Amino acid sequence: MRTISPAVVLATAALTLTACGGTGQPAATAPTGKNVILITPNPVGTNSFLQLSVKGAEAAAKEIGASFKLYESKDPTSIAQNLDAAVRAKPTVIVGVSFSFDDLFTTVPKQHPDQQFLQVDSCAEEQAANLTCVSFKEHEAAYLAGVEAGLLTESGKLGVVAAIDSPFVHRWIDPFLDGAKSVKPEATGTPLYVGGNNPFSDPARAKSQAQTLTGQGVDIVAAAASAGNQGVFEAVAAAKAKAFGVDVNQCAQSPGNVIDNVLKHVDVAESAAIKDIAAGKAGGVKVYGLKEGGVGVNALGDDLASSGCAVAASADVVAKVKQVRDDIVAGRVTVADPLAG
Amino acid sequence: MTTFLAAVLTATAPVVLAALGGLLCSVSGVFNMALEGQLLWGAFTAVLFSHLTGSAWLGVAGAVLCTTLYALLLSVPAVTFRADPVVVAVGTNLLALGLTAFLMRQIFGSGGTFSSPELAGLPTLAALGLDAPVAGSQSPLVPVAFLLVAAAAWWLGHARSGLRLRGIGQHAEAAESIGLRVPLYRHAAVLGAGALCGLGGAQLALGNVTLFSEGMSAGRGWVAVVAVMLAGSRPWLGLAACLLFGAAEALGFRLQGLGLPQQAADAAPYLITLLALVVVAAARRKEAPV
Repeated sequence: MRTISPAVVLATAALTLTACGGTGQPAATAPTGKNVILITPNPVGTNSFLQLSVKGAEAAAKEIGASFKLYESKDPTSIAQNLDAAVRAKPTVIVGVSFSFDDLFTTVPKQHPDQQFLQVDSCAEEQAANLTCVSFKEHEAAYLAGVEAGLLTESGKLGVVAAIDSPFVHRWIDPFLDGAKSVKPEATGTPLYVGGNNPFSDPARAKSQAQTLTGQGVDIVAAAASAGNQGVFEAVAAAKAKAFGVDVNQCAQSPGNVIDNVLKHVDVAESAAIKDIAAGKAGGVKVYGLKEGGVGVNALGDDLASSGCAVAASADVVAKVKQVRDDIVAGRVTVADPLAG
Repeated sequence: MTTFLAAVLTATAPVVLAALGGLLCSVSGVFNMALEGQLLWGAFTAVLFSHLTGSAWLGVAGAVLCTTLYALLLSVPAVTFRADPVVVAVGTNLLALGLTAFLMRQIFGSGGTFSSPELAGLPTLAALGLDAPVAGSQSPLVPVAFLLVAAAAWWLGHARSGLRLRGIGQHAEAAESIGLRVPLYRHAAVLGAGALCGLGGAQLALGNVTLFSEGMSAGRGWVAVVAVMLAGSRPWLGLAACLLFGAAEALGFRLQGLGLPQQAADAAPYLITLLALVVVAAARRKEAPV
């Protein structure tokens, strides 16, 4: 992305008669020695999950008096170049978001033992001493969403449209179906995977898969397809079915069609971890579950009424979800983790 | 079955339009590998013009116009200056990926995905009063795509200019010797392919879904290139190849639901391509023994 020369871009823009208003890149540099670099695996844009991770890192940087720089990767393959550039800048901490950093963070921290690394939302398999990880128990939140789906489904048929068939992505699938079966044992669930050349950004395929599911009588589809989620919402809206969103509140993206979301409060966890590292408490894995308030669903939030989520209309479902949450926190209910399988 | 057929048509339409463009180029003797980037550019400009004007049809018109102009990036170097069309095409594909991402940030102020309730999508045929079982859920561009295939088949087989285009592809020097302006025909073919990719991109971004996301062509242009290689100069064969890919995709989704691993479903189009290439090659050898 960074390699396209402005001249080429301008020439082509002029050639294709496309107007574009130029806005300058915001430059963020502070004179202090501390700085935080955040690398995203994909463009931030409207990706609310990445927006939250930027917000968390920015807030933490401000609190510890550091400057903040954002390196956006165009796609998972350009991450290595960004990481290379970040290492050369020698910041206080390099933050990498998502499992897309699993491989790189297995090798790079070992090559640069004096540099602190933070991986958010996953952890490299062989963790070096200078790599801190923040991970979430998404399966606990997915289980709660499943409970809602089990209570609200009429056909008893549930579906999931997920980006790829990987162990990590199964955290949004298996616990969702387990949760549904815990309240409606006869419910059936079908996961479909987007796959193809661009699994995390192929809304047309995601929509087609959601249509496949609704065509089979599925009346609730959980979306776990990243940028493809909007395609899932379009499909359920047309089929008079309902959907679940992921990571952040997606209810407003398709008003009335999204029941609830499997939330991850990444900003809270990430900023706490950055402050810990700056204070010299680096290393280890910090896990955020329902108990720590790191994951949840909108039904548990104080702002449920204004969230735009369809679950707000069913007080009995909200009450049941709160009870199951308490059971999980107290250890009376254990949610099986597909990653531990 | 109805939903299956509808899914096949929806998945196939953008690919058919791109493949038809590629086929016209191939007939004229220019190998067009720029379809992927042009589809993406068409999808972007369709969303842009629909967003600016509030009309899906102006979005389609904008996409056709802008992608025709974008095709100049291939036709001028490849036809006028005789550059290798494959190399130029790779360049324009990469440019489309970067340029759409860049312009998206500049114009919509966001990267990743752009969708908005105000963005006008194409109506379905059912909404236009044509409520047939399979066709009703499609956008009007889907029947247009199939009609264009029929028109191209007739044109290449019967019209004087179509026959001349084929002659140019088979023996450019001979065509030149009878006074045909070879570059003119080739420019027209490449720009026509641009227009068709614009239409295909518009169908993808305003028909299949109503949004734009970075890289959303997601390999459909490459599938179209393969369809062109299978079809040679026969539009109906190209359509059949595209339908085969569309059916493989839609069938893959259903088989996944029955327990077929995603990776196997993903591999299906490529397996089919390999098989089809072998079968077509064998058939051609039989047709014309060396």
